Amino acid sequence: MSESFDARSYLENYDGPDFRIMEVCGTHTHEIFRQGIRRILSPKIRLISGPGCPVCVTPVSFIDEAVYLALEKGCTITTFGDLVRVPGSKTSLAGARAKGALVKVVYSPMDAVKYASAHKEEQVVFLSVGFETTTPSDVMAVKKAMNDGLDNFSILTANKTMPGAYEAMGHSCDAFLYPGHVHAITGTQICKDMCEKGVSGVIAGFTGDELLTALAIAAKKHSEGKPFFVNCYPRVVKDEGAPVAVAMVDKFMQHCDAEWRGIGTIPMSGMELKDEYAAFDARKKFAIPDQKTEYKTACRCGDVLQGKILPKECPLFGKACNPDHPVGACMVSSEGACSAFYMYGGDL
Amino acid sequence: MSDVITLAHGSGGRKTSELIANMFKKNLGNEFFTADDAAVMPRPEGRIAMSTDGFIVSPWEFPGGNIGKLSICGTVNDLACMGAKPLYLTCSYVIEEGFPIEDLEKIAEAMGETARKAGVKIVAGDTKVAGKGQVDKVFITTAGVGVIEDGVNLSGANAKPGDKIIVTGDVGRHGTCILLARDEYGIEADVKSDCAPLWDAVEAVLAVCPEMHVIRDATRGGVGTVLYEICDQSGVGIDVDSEAVPVTPEVRGVTGMLGLEPLYLACEGTMVMMCPAEYADKVVEALKNTEHAKGAAIIGEVTSENQGRVVMTTGIGGKTYLPQPGNELLPRIC
Amino acid sequence: MCVGLSAKVISVKDGVAIVDASGAKREVSAELLEDLEPGEYVMVHAGAAIAKITDDDKSETDKLKEEYLK
Repeated sequence: MSESFDARSYLENYDGPDFRIMEVCGTHTHEIFRQGIRRILSPKIRLISGPGCPVCVTPVSFIDEAVYLALEKGCTITTFGDLVRVPGSKTSLAGARAKGALVKVVYSPMDAVKYASAHKEEQVVFLSVGFETTTPSDVMAVKKAMNDGLDNFSILTANKTMPGAYEAMGHSCDAFLYPGHVHAITGTQICKDMCEKGVSGVIAGFTGDELLTALAIAAKKHSEGKPFFVNCYPRVVKDEGAPVAVAMVDKFMQHCDAEWRGIGTIPMSGMELKDEYAAFDARKKFAIPDQKTEYKTACRCGDVLQGKILPKECPLFGKACNPDHPVGACMVSSEGACSAFYMYGGDL
Repeated sequence: MSDVITLAHGSGGRKTSELIANMFKKNLGNEFFTADDAAVMPRPEGRIAMSTDGFIVSPWEFPGGNIGKLSICGTVNDLACMGAKPLYLTCSYVIEEGFPIEDLEKIAEAMGETARKAGVKIVAGDTKVAGKGQVDKVFITTAGVGVIEDGVNLSGANAKPGDKIIVTGDVGRHGTCILLARDEYGIEADVKSDCAPLWDAVEAVLAVCPEMHVIRDATRGGVGTVLYEICDQSGVGIDVDSEAVPVTPEVRGVTGMLGLEPLYLACEGTMVMMCPAEYADKVVEALKNTEHAKGAAIIGEVTSENQGRVVMTTGIGGKTYLPQPGNELLPRIC
Repeated sequence: MCVGLSAKVISVKDGVAIVDASGAKREVSAELLEDLEPGEYVMVHAGAAIAKITDDDKSETDKLKEEYLK
């Protein structure tokens, strides 16, 4: 503990100008709770849990598409565990599984390809959600399936990119706690550009000490009054990022408009497979009909994601909406702001 | 004997008798295990404790044990948690048609060996065979009777503020071992189940700490679930020092890869104990002198604050609630 | 959003690396990184090594604190 004392005591005793910092990354949200960091911070520092969980911002219609593939087309759905319980407009994948759908949790997209090559009689669809960190793995899966000549593997894309969200959220906070692993892929130029535009931030790692250090540096810089950017995670994030990964994604995918659950459509903030890879695009391969439905509740996820309210200020929080029966985006994954508040008890 | 279990083995006829004689009597037999309809034993002195548990682990065999060993440890440990010296066990099998006899032998051997080590006698058994696909290979139910010495009074409702909380060993090993044995995530690690009978550990503890308040084995749901159960039952809060919770590096590596919390993974040879602070060091020392509790450690204490909640003090000195026990364990990627 | 785990590279062959995170070993893709060598440390996410790293997070935060928080 003594090593982290400096950063910790700085954050405890911070008495500079009020500081609202948004952690954009769900893993940060989760770790901040798990490490008990909120309680350490001076009342002048407010953490806002932003939109950074790809599961949370995945729209209802995406779940409906996956359920359609599972139940109507008899596809085997392979997915990261986080998505299984996310409610669609009618049911979740867990609900579909109870009705006989094949839903298999995998550790990586490559494992989904392996499953497809071992089960040629099944049509295997991988649910491709994620930000810049995860998208290269999704693309590698398509590449592998293509090289192996598999015709029973495809992906259902809901991949998203962060810069659009930074633009959309920049007014909600004084600085961003940028997601370390996104920038391990994309590098630091985006953050520097944001700084030029007057939007501050620091790239942070994920251990308790890394988070405290990044928060303390951000608070100190904020009190100095000028826009700032500091890479507080240089052991992982290099300025140039991971060019091989970026090039691979660019080869297979193109930008598209994307709906963010709780926020709305952000132009060109999504990624989809290019037309020449349509054979691996589940949406095209199975000609999924439009699943867009009106989905209205009293849920205030949008306000939570933009830092306008705390989860407990939502009328549904902990009552109609809880981790067993999530109504809104932020309750669905363990990294969603509401779910983290619920599980870790925001009041401590 | 034929090579696999057939429906005839469960019919009650000649094949059933053969199986009982050649397999169960051989491995599990003792003076009380007879061909009669019920076992007859002398009445023990003192209060008796009784418990039953069903076992359906998949795969049935795993590093560190198999379903047979598990089915003995489970019931022996449930009795031990009440301070009861396990005396007699019954076991009931439901076996899937086609299950190899050789494998059943391994299970029976493990049961016999574990029962002898735990000092408990298997006095009655039953065998049913279910059609192919009706059960997953083999299910075992054991029930047990133990005797409690006067003055011993253990219950989940007995935790008192100020009590120290002790775990008898590192946490999450059985759950991790089973996850790995299912081989669904392509991860390899040298993790053996902690599956072990712990009556000797409990006996040693009761000898040095007559005022032991709570003992509970952290099986399904792990140590985290036990802590929340005790909070509820005793109407107290619990503080845990996260750095003090023993976790092997391999378990930490695997749970790190999958985004799982070791405190919520099953143990099959690790118990949680709560006793007045003045006894805590003696209890840990006594545990360390037993075969299966060498990794015993004090992990926290019972409080009157935060009733019903488990508060973790983290490595950086932060405080946070341990999340409530939840849903099926799914690897978290994002 | 992106659980990462630092791990040591044990071997690399045909774009696939075996990594070890305190005793937990797994195959991960090495395609995203150039010239990965056994003995190096990587950050792993969703079955791919996404960055070469130094494993020592403490000396890094110490350096940052020295530079920015004096």
